[in-house]
Amino acid sequence: MKDKHIITMLPDYLDNQLDPVQKEAVDKHLETCNNCQKELEAYKRLFDAINKEKKEEVPDRLQLNFEAMLEEEKAKTIKVVPITANNNSKTKASLPYMLKIAAGFALLIASFFLGKYQNEQVSNQTLAQMENEQREIRQMAMLSLMENKSASKRIQGVNYIEELAMPNEIIVKALAERMLYDENTNVRLTAVEALGAFTNSKTVVNAFVTALGIEKDPGIQIVIIHTLVQLQEKKAIAPLQKLLEEEETQPFIKAQIESLLPKIS
Amino acid sequence: MQEVAQGNLDMLRPLFNRHHKHLYNFVLKMCGDSMLSEDITQDVFYKILKYRASYNNGKFVSWMFTIARNSIATHFKSNKERHADLEQVEHQLANKQIEEKQDYSDLQRALNRLDPSDRELVILNRYQGIKYEEIALITDSTPGAVKTKMSRALKKLKALYFQN
Amino acid sequence: MKQVAITVVFLAFALTTKAQDYTKSLSGIEWVKIESKADIVVKTHNSQELLIKNRSSYDEPERAKGLRLLGEGGSDNTEVGFYVIKEGNTLLVKNLRKSDYAEIYLPSSQNVAVTSTWNGDIEISGFTAEIEANAQLNGGIRIKDVAGPVTANVLNGELEVLFTKVNQSSPISLHTTNGVLDVSLPGNTPADLSLGSVNGEIYTNFDLSVPDKNGLRSISSKKVKGAINNGGVSIKLSSTNGNIYLRKQ
Repeated sequence: MKDKHIITMLPDYLDNQLDPVQKEAVDKHLETCNNCQKELEAYKRLFDAINKEKKEEVPDRLQLNFEAMLEEEKAKTIKVVPITANNNSKTKASLPYMLKIAAGFALLIASFFLGKYQNEQVSNQTLAQMENEQREIRQMAMLSLMENKSASKRIQGVNYIEELAMPNEIIVKALAERMLYDENTNVRLTAVEALGAFTNSKTVVNAFVTALGIEKDPGIQIVIIHTLVQLQEKKAIAPLQKLLEEEETQPFIKAQIESLLPKIS
Repeated sequence: MQEVAQGNLDMLRPLFNRHHKHLYNFVLKMCGDSMLSEDITQDVFYKILKYRASYNNGKFVSWMFTIARNSIATHFKSNKERHADLEQVEHQLANKQIEEKQDYSDLQRALNRLDPSDRELVILNRYQGIKYEEIALITDSTPGAVKTKMSRALKKLKALYFQN
Repeated sequence: MKQVAITVVFLAFALTTKAQDYTKSLSGIEWVKIESKADIVVKTHNSQELLIKNRSSYDEPERAKGLRLLGEGGSDNTEVGFYVIKEGNTLLVKNLRKSDYAEIYLPSSQNVAVTSTWNGDIEISGFTAEIEANAQLNGGIRIKDVAGPVTANVLNGELEVLFTKVNQSSPISLHTTNGVLDVSLPGNTPADLSLGSVNGEIYTNFDLSVPDKNGLRSISSKKVKGAINNGGVSIKLSSTNGNIYLRKQ
């Protein structure tokens, strides 16, 4: 085996992360190779230095602030309870009273933490801010779903786009990343179709052009081609011609390109 | 975390106790600013609490670091000119730190000279003991790619460390 | 007579010792990823482990005695022609033989992802957890007695899926490029359906006649969307050149 290859395995070797076959290969190689022994020694010293480095002590403030935050969040949750009871006609009579208690309770807690906890007060939030927050939560859920290990969950994340009327740049980029690099064909296909609704964004169009250059699945290629042709996107011409020349491009894709290419060039 | 998501907020306390030190150290190693690290650590747990409903049963630690990365990125984006590249800004910061503080260890100095994405990998893996698969989840990559990148990053770090 | 019995017992013994199956514990494993060039059958059993049947039909060349089978990305570490390795909470299971059919057993609650990278057909049955399947070249996929979520993609072969029940947790997505897509659902399945084929036809006995209002978004002229049983989980069936058959059971 080559030195270079062995060297890349040395960190895992030190961590005992190699499988027996690889470990044996490294052992064997080390017996005879001076250079790699030196490398191993260097890694050892580096790792020792890392391990010796002390963890920074965390200020106690963090713990205190966390407790304050937790209490506040709990108070908010309590405040919500009577409002959800609204639908029940029996509790209606007592509702204003319960609300008063809850509001008073919330106020008490709020004023208690006012000095200690410097974050902006929740009670001052306007409706617009709350809507904004809702949006943020949805966006957060969408982003986190799109990074799930399960393809079905990632598709679910991509489908969330239907609930966000105007996706922002972060969402568009995350979707473009799914379209370009997701290992699962179905996820890429779903992302292509989702992004097809936002071709007024430059980022999206450029992502489509990039995708045309790297996508190998004919089912997805055809959707990308149709989208770009509909947009009369000139930047698509070069990758389309490349696809025509490539041997591995499916015949029906080539036929499509040949009939559509004159429409944009 | 499942219980927290369902409304048992007190269950977040043990998670905080167990993980906030790691998180703080991760952020500190990334940005080199202890006040900022405090703020970001705080912010991460604030977000965890706020977005508990969107927790999707994954590994808590991965989720936490994912949020932390976003927070770091958001912080640098909102504080510097709007379109400055995050990597660039972080790099500037790292350089500034080197100039300002001379009491850094050789190791930290070498670490600061890695580019941020490499630095992040080394910190997550070497300092926090997080496995490639989880790093892949956190950084939205694949275990194979993380592994390759990691071995390159370590090689660079080793070279920088022994330069001194 | 006695001699015959002894011979039979001896023979049986000889056969069982030769046909050693491979097993591995699945504790801490979230996904099992299977890769094969040849035909592969994935079934369920009641044990919490992975079982790969030894393919006694396969004659190892005499010359291979004492040697280890090498394949792309790994060497035989199972004695049954497979490379099995744990990567975090994923178990990678690679069939190293390029032409021999293999049978794999897993607990029904296991998430499983199966890829055929050459001519092999994939058959999956009995799972209640998530299934991902991909036939990248000439193979087909047949999935039956499952409850979804299923994500499957076939290039040149057929894709056939029979659901006994449909989990409402997350979407189902099935796509073929050139082959037929044939799906059966229980008649009472609540779902939001979306069916579309660019060059093929769509056939179904579900009541689905709502045309896609958002005509601009779809590229194909043949796209049907609609809710069945008041709507539910998203089920998307799509094909580029193949026909789509959606059956009510």
